[in-house]
Amino acid sequence: MDNIERRQFLKLGIYSSAGLLVGSFFAFSKGNDKIDVLEYDDLLKFDWGYVVDTTKCIGCGSCVRACSVENSVPDTFYRTWVERFEIDNHEIVRVDSPKGAIESFKEDNFKSDISKAFFVPKICNHCYNSACTQVCPVGASYHSPDGVVLIDKAHCIGCGYCVQACPYGCRYIDHKKGTADKCTLCYHRIHKGEEPACVNACPRSARIFGNLKDPNSKIRKILNQRRYGLLKPDLGTNPKCYYIGLDLEVV
Amino acid sequence: MRDKLHIYTVLIILVSLIIIAAIVDTLLQPKSFNEHGHYRWDAVNELEKQTVINQNSKICSECHKDIYQLHEKDAHFSVPCVDCHGAGNLHVAYHKDSVSSNITKEKAILKKEFKFEGCLFCHKKLNARPSDFPQINQKEHYKFMHIIDSTAKCIECHSPHEPIFLLTDSRQSRLHPIVYKCTDCHKTKPKKNFYDVADHPKIFECKDCHAEIVKDFNSKPHHNYVECRTCHLFHKESENIGRMYKNGNAKFCLLCHENKPFKDPKYPPKVEWPNHISNIKSIEKTDTKICLNCHEKQIHKMNLQLKGNPHPGNWKSEHKKFAVNKLSKKIDASCNLCHQKDYCLSCHKVEMPHNDQFKGDDHKLVVQKKGKALCYNCHAKEFCTTCHE
Repeated sequence: MDNIERRQFLKLGIYSSAGLLVGSFFAFSKGNDKIDVLEYDDLLKFDWGYVVDTTKCIGCGSCVRACSVENSVPDTFYRTWVERFEIDNHEIVRVDSPKGAIESFKEDNFKSDISKAFFVPKICNHCYNSACTQVCPVGASYHSPDGVVLIDKAHCIGCGYCVQACPYGCRYIDHKKGTADKCTLCYHRIHKGEEPACVNACPRSARIFGNLKDPNSKIRKILNQRRYGLLKPDLGTNPKCYYIGLDLEVV
Repeated sequence: MRDKLHIYTVLIILVSLIIIAAIVDTLLQPKSFNEHGHYRWDAVNELEKQTVINQNSKICSECHKDIYQLHEKDAHFSVPCVDCHGAGNLHVAYHKDSVSSNITKEKAILKKEFKFEGCLFCHKKLNARPSDFPQINQKEHYKFMHIIDSTAKCIECHSPHEPIFLLTDSRQSRLHPIVYKCTDCHKTKPKKNFYDVADHPKIFECKDCHAEIVKDFNSKPHHNYVECRTCHLFHKESENIGRMYKNGNAKFCLLCHENKPFKDPKYPPKVEWPNHISNIKSIEKTDTKICLNCHEKQIHKMNLQLKGNPHPGNWKSEHKKFAVNKLSKKIDASCNLCHQKDYCLSCHKVEMPHNDQFKGDDHKLVVQKKGKALCYNCHAKEFCTTCHE
């Protein structure tokens, strides 16, 4: 009898401790995982896209100021900037962007004879076939599952290949951290239901941001209705930043 | 046999090198690399942890409701709070929880005062800005307004939340305030398609319909300085909505006529405000059209029953029927197609846009209060027949 009781006691002990272990493992793992952590499958529902309406832009530079505050971008570098195109009667084109238009624009470049002038805001195109991610030697530059081109700053070695590879000049080397840096479409905002800082700051809603995979989103409706262009489409990078009212002079 | 041995040694060295390389690779690879592609999956969540700095205007509206409502109604409605007041993350954090946020009160104060540059970032006259966007040359503007002190700030006259002054290029506006389709006027289809209003051979001006009023206005002192569109805002908001806005607001008149130290005291005529009306007891001080009540004759004749005006004398009372018939075919049309939002609200005191209950019984009560109104005063005639065949 003694033996059987001891066996039963041991069995009970083993089962209960095993149960406790498994149970606690589940409880703790659930508690840690599901708060504020992005799941891969959830991200596949999104494909973030960006539309710039150049006919609405007034070149105030609110977007540049908002971006540099939001992401603490170092001076003289800009993740988004505004270019001014001025074309005179002799078809001479002048393009300028003083300090990335962070303090807007001061004077016209031509004193007279301007036949056409407009602003073009620029931002990382988050291309589908991006040149910058292909050249990264350590895999620190990548496409997130929701279609944003991002940098893993913990493993970027700051070699600068990607800065040279980007045909749009959207990357820079952050000399303080020694890594490359670029527009993240404000990745920390978009999954909390906020718009990127530049879209949030635009007073004329010239910048529109949304999910391209959602057929009812505002951005999809605009792309279905309006005529748009892309920057340097011949390079085959397949950019995802669509420009409404794009002029031939803009590259 | 010897050759075979050579090959084996080479092969063994190669294989062992590959195995060592693979082991080193797996050892050096950071955690979660290659989980979902050639990158570290954890890096995505690390980026997500960055704090949000620029605040949404909705967050501001939770506490500053009154200012937000004022701001939303006027021309600056599309300008978010962050553009003028700064990011505001410290301000929000401090006022949500001042103890645990460790933020000093000085840091939580938002910037309020603006130099010229703040306004001129958007409103400086530049060739590249769209022509329908209001923009000024500061020197010319000050000369025109007879302002002596060139250091006077924009906000001394224009309240940023309620800028009032609006003047748009007439070529940007719709061709005509009540005509929407080419076929409304042209019986045959026009040869050319006029995508742009400015391409139309005839641009409609105010005097085409309101000849006598414009003539009268030109003989009065205002005509050198003020255009029709300065007070009667008429511009295109979207494809469907254009609005006529009578700016009879006292604040609007005071933009020029209030006495301030930086203005030329002689011209245009100045008044001390509110001393100007404080002694007159018959004046109701809350009336927004306080200036026009006495001075309306100095602007132009206010009576619409004039020759050269296509509308009949009873236009004011009868035009609703015309509008209903005209608009019934367009589903999203309503009074504010011509009038501003507040126009309906001023009599009916109904929330705009109507709440969900309105469609049920609530709106019947509104109609009953009005008296003998027929359904099709508001709805198109076909509305009843859709159910009551």
